Amino acid sequence: MRHALLAFVFVLLSVPAVAGIRYEFKATGAETSRLTIEAVGDIEAIEPLIRDFQVLEPGLSITYVDNLTNDLFEMLQAACAKDMIVADLVFSSAVDHMVKLANDGCAQPYASPETVRAPPFANWHDEVFGFSFEPAVIVYNRNLVPPADVPRSRDQMVDLLRNKAAAYDKRVGTYDIARSGIGYLFGFFDAQQSSAFGRMMEGFGRAHAGLYCCTGELLRDIESGKILIGYNLLGSYAYGRFKAGAPIGIVLPRDYTLVLSRAAFVPAHAANPQAGKKFLDYLLSLRGQKMAAEKSFFFAYGQAAPEGVDAAEPDLQSGIYRPIPLGPALLAVTDRHKKARLLKEWNQSFQAQ
Amino acid sequence: MAGKTPSLFWRLTTAISLGLLLGAGILAYAAYNYAHTAADDAYDRLLLGAASQIGETIRVEDQAITTDIPVSAFETLSVSRQERVYYRVVGPDGASLTGYDDLQVPHNLLRAGSSPKVWDGTFKGYPVRIAAVSHYVSDPAATGWATILVAQTRDARNALARELTLRAMALVGIMSVIALVGVVLATRYALRPLHRIEQALGSRDPNDLTPLDIRAPVEIEGLTQSINHFMERLSGRMDSLQSMIADAAHQIRTPITALTAQVELLKRETVPAKRKHHLTRVVARTAQIGRLVSQLLSHAMVSHRAQSITASPIDLVELVHQAVADAIPAAMDRDISVEMNVGPAPVFIEGDPISLREAIRNIIENAVHHGAKTKITIAIEARESHVVLVIGDDGPGIPIQQWPDVTRRFFRASTEGVGSGLGLAITADVAKNHGAQLEFAHGENDMFLVCMIFPRTNGASS
Repeated sequence: MRHALLAFVFVLLSVPAVAGIRYEFKATGAETSRLTIEAVGDIEAIEPLIRDFQVLEPGLSITYVDNLTNDLFEMLQAACAKDMIVADLVFSSAVDHMVKLANDGCAQPYASPETVRAPPFANWHDEVFGFSFEPAVIVYNRNLVPPADVPRSRDQMVDLLRNKAAAYDKRVGTYDIARSGIGYLFGFFDAQQSSAFGRMMEGFGRAHAGLYCCTGELLRDIESGKILIGYNLLGSYAYGRFKAGAPIGIVLPRDYTLVLSRAAFVPAHAANPQAGKKFLDYLLSLRGQKMAAEKSFFFAYGQAAPEGVDAAEPDLQSGIYRPIPLGPALLAVTDRHKKARLLKEWNQSFQAQ
Repeated sequence: MAGKTPSLFWRLTTAISLGLLLGAGILAYAAYNYAHTAADDAYDRLLLGAASQIGETIRVEDQAITTDIPVSAFETLSVSRQERVYYRVVGPDGASLTGYDDLQVPHNLLRAGSSPKVWDGTFKGYPVRIAAVSHYVSDPAATGWATILVAQTRDARNALARELTLRAMALVGIMSVIALVGVVLATRYALRPLHRIEQALGSRDPNDLTPLDIRAPVEIEGLTQSINHFMERLSGRMDSLQSMIADAAHQIRTPITALTAQVELLKRETVPAKRKHHLTRVVARTAQIGRLVSQLLSHAMVSHRAQSITASPIDLVELVHQAVADAIPAAMDRDISVEMNVGPAPVFIEGDPISLREAIRNIIENAVHHGAKTKITIAIEARESHVVLVIGDDGPGIPIQQWPDVTRRFFRASTEGVGSGLGLAITADVAKNHGAQLEFAHGENDMFLVCMIFPRTNGASS
């Protein structure tokens, strides 16, 4: 008992202070076991999945902690280095963080009939699994942006900012890649994919674009009309607002659409790894995928974009969807030189004008 | 009979199987080593490539060394999507620039400018293969060798090595099976002539002793020849045995018929004087039959020994003494002197002592029964190349025209007398079996001489 207490104090001292928000989901029946999830994911998206999972596992009490990407990464890295237990399952939209942790041996391997269902790009080493399909989208205010202005590709976005510079000055926004892990990840792959991205960032700089930490704030300002167009938002969250009646339109860029698959793994040291694996199985299962497509992320692998979304082609083979593959290539994303260089270039683009 | 020896088929198959197994083992070991090296070679190239790619991005910006880690460097390494990848860039001053700071650099590499190196190590508890490449930075701000380390877990290369080994082993296995089947078929084929001989002998009539007419390969021609030779000898034995039995039956039947007739006469005769006469005849006839049977057995013994007894050195002088002793009781009836003309030294010849003794005794008995009036002379002369035994008597001897015939079985010089007609035949057979010659001659003082001339074997005189 005393050891446990000491250990607890030790945890408090050694793990960086976590500003995550805790949500408790008591077992619907008599509690037989507990599952702790440390993750990055809006509770609105995750709650339906947890509730549905508890229908299957009525004896399971679930603690869900929603963190910021960098906080989660630092906490897991520190815990992994000291072989400490923090959660039975972790997931994050910052897939580069997840792959780096797994690469460093912080995840335990798991294979089951459900995990083989994950597409190849969403399974690394049977340790990290991508369970969602979340495109990076352009969001605009339906009431304030004339249909002719709606950009459907990065080139159109560049043209719009050039041709109607006055109308959109200070009225566009995107992630601050220095502050947002997901913004940096999308920015990194955008820079890899096309030269249009650089020109677009220059355009954003000229237009004095607003820089945001999170998808939620960006969406709020688009809804309110403070800004008119946002770039590289997570399609899942945007569609959630759209469905809730927000006056926004969603465009999947037609030159290419980056797709993020939220990455999950069972930590190498877990109190109840079986429960973590069960939930992972659920997330990858047909039932979990169906639930996610209906209530959480709205987009799903191999399915057409949901109604109301401006998308060119539902076909995955068209090459427009470019999933970010889970794998060691993501190590380059977390490289400190690489990050410094990208931030520098990004800042230069923004401040060039 | 001793324990059953394994069949030729199993001997060959087992020996060759063991050979194949040994070969397969050696090949497996070689294949494993080769596959391991090949897998390492292939993946080491990727590893070094990745390190070089990173090295090429090293440059100096704002007075500091910086890199631009290319995604492609890791993409090449994650071809198999299985591997953990670690990397580190160390500046000329030994300070970590980027990557995993705790990935160790061997001291000899820090010394600058070494050629690319690859070695096995452990990182974060995983066995890894580590490649190091040096890259020269020439800038006033920082000059010297930067080192790029790239490490990769071994899963993919182990899997490749395993797969290569298994494939090689599958080939070795297939080849071994083919070889084994070939061996089985070849052995069957090679042993078929033996099988044919077996069948030919097995299906043969027991009385059929003609030679086997089977075409056999060179290797077993000797066997068929031996079998044929054996059968030839067997056939000869059977023939001589059959003719001997036929002769014996014929020879015995005649005196027994005569004996029966005389016994009949004796039964009916009432006159005592005549009865006595008949009785004497019966006794004489019985003695003759006894001698005949004895000689027949003696002859059978001699022919048997000729084929079954191996020759040994014997002293002819000693043998003659024994033969005379055997014949003496017969000589005692009459007043005959035996004159031995032999030296004191033993004279050795090669042969069967029992057969020879029988032969010499027959000559002496012949002399006693048919010839000698007063004396018998016996002489042994040891000459350069042969030994001559001469037995002479002062009787009438055998007429010269009968000389060629007296050595035939059942030849009698006269129908009268007590001879069986076998004595000289036995002697002639023994002489023939010993490579000796049997000759007759007339010597000084009208002596009739019987000579046995033995070849002298090497060392026999010493």
